[in-house]
Amino acid sequence: MSAPASVVRMKICMAGEASVGKTSLIRRCVLDEFDDRYIATLGTKITKKTLTVPDPKGKGPVPVSVILWDIMGTPTLRDLLKEAYYHGAEGIFAVADQTREHTMAVLDTWSRSIRSVAGDIPTFGLVNKRDLSADPKLAAGEVETFFEKRAWPWSYTSAKTGEGVEQSFQRLVERILKNRP
Amino acid sequence: MTHFERPDTVGLVMQRLAENAKDVDALFVLAAIQAREGRVSEGLTVLDHVLRLDPTYPGAWMFKAVLHRMNGENDAERSAREKAEDAER
Repeated sequence: MSAPASVVRMKICMAGEASVGKTSLIRRCVLDEFDDRYIATLGTKITKKTLTVPDPKGKGPVPVSVILWDIMGTPTLRDLLKEAYYHGAEGIFAVADQTREHTMAVLDTWSRSIRSVAGDIPTFGLVNKRDLSADPKLAAGEVETFFEKRAWPWSYTSAKTGEGVEQSFQRLVERILKNRP
Repeated sequence: MTHFERPDTVGLVMQRLAENAKDVDALFVLAAIQAREGRVSEGLTVLDHVLRLDPTYPGAWMFKAVLHRMNGENDAERSAREKAEDAER
C-alpha cells in the first residue's frame, strides 16, 4: 500500500476594491453561507480550507490546505501593507464587481502591488455579484477582453448563489500546483 | 487624519476602538495609518500592542519589519522578519 500523499500548503490572497465581495466569496467557499449585511473588513483575516485536487503531474489526488488571506480593500494603505499581506503568496484572486465598472480596471494596480512582493504568481479573475445581472455595468465582451489580454483565467461568480465559486477555487489551486517546480 | 485618507476607514477604526480598545484589527489599521502619516514610531508602539494581544496576528510581524526598516533599525527589522517567517511556517 502506498503512503498517503502529504498535504500541500499554499497561501492565496484576495485582491480588489472595497465591497466587491472578497469576504463573502471566502464565506461561500469555506462555509457555504452568505450574509447580505455588509461589514467592511479591517486589517487581515485568514481562513483555512482543505480540498483534494488532481495532481497536475498525474500522481493521483493531492490534499491541499489553503490559507486564504482576506485583506481590506483600502487602496491608500495598500503599498504600505503589501509586504505584510502578500509575502509568501502563491496565488491571487482578483475580484471585480460587475455592477461597478471601475472595480475591474483597478485590478491591474492590485496585481502590480502583489507581484512586486510575491513575484509572477498565478492570478484568477472573479467577476462577482453575478446574481445582480439585471443591470451589469461591465459588458461581457469587455470582461473577456480584459482578462484575455492579461492571460488570467476568470469566471463570473456569485457569493450569494454560489455560482462559479467552488470551481474557480479548484482551478486556481490546480494552476498553482502546476506552477510549482 | 490626513487629507488623502478615506474618512470611512479612519472613522471605522475609531468606532471599533471606542467599542473595544483591544480590537486587534482596528489597532493594526491604526498602526498603518500612523505610519503612513509619517509617525512611524507611534505606529510601531501600536503594532507592538497588537502583537502582545495576538502574537500570531496575520502579517503583523512582517509589517513590524517594514516599519523598523523605515526607521533605519536594521537589527530590529531582521528580528521581526525572522519571526514573520516562523509565524507563517
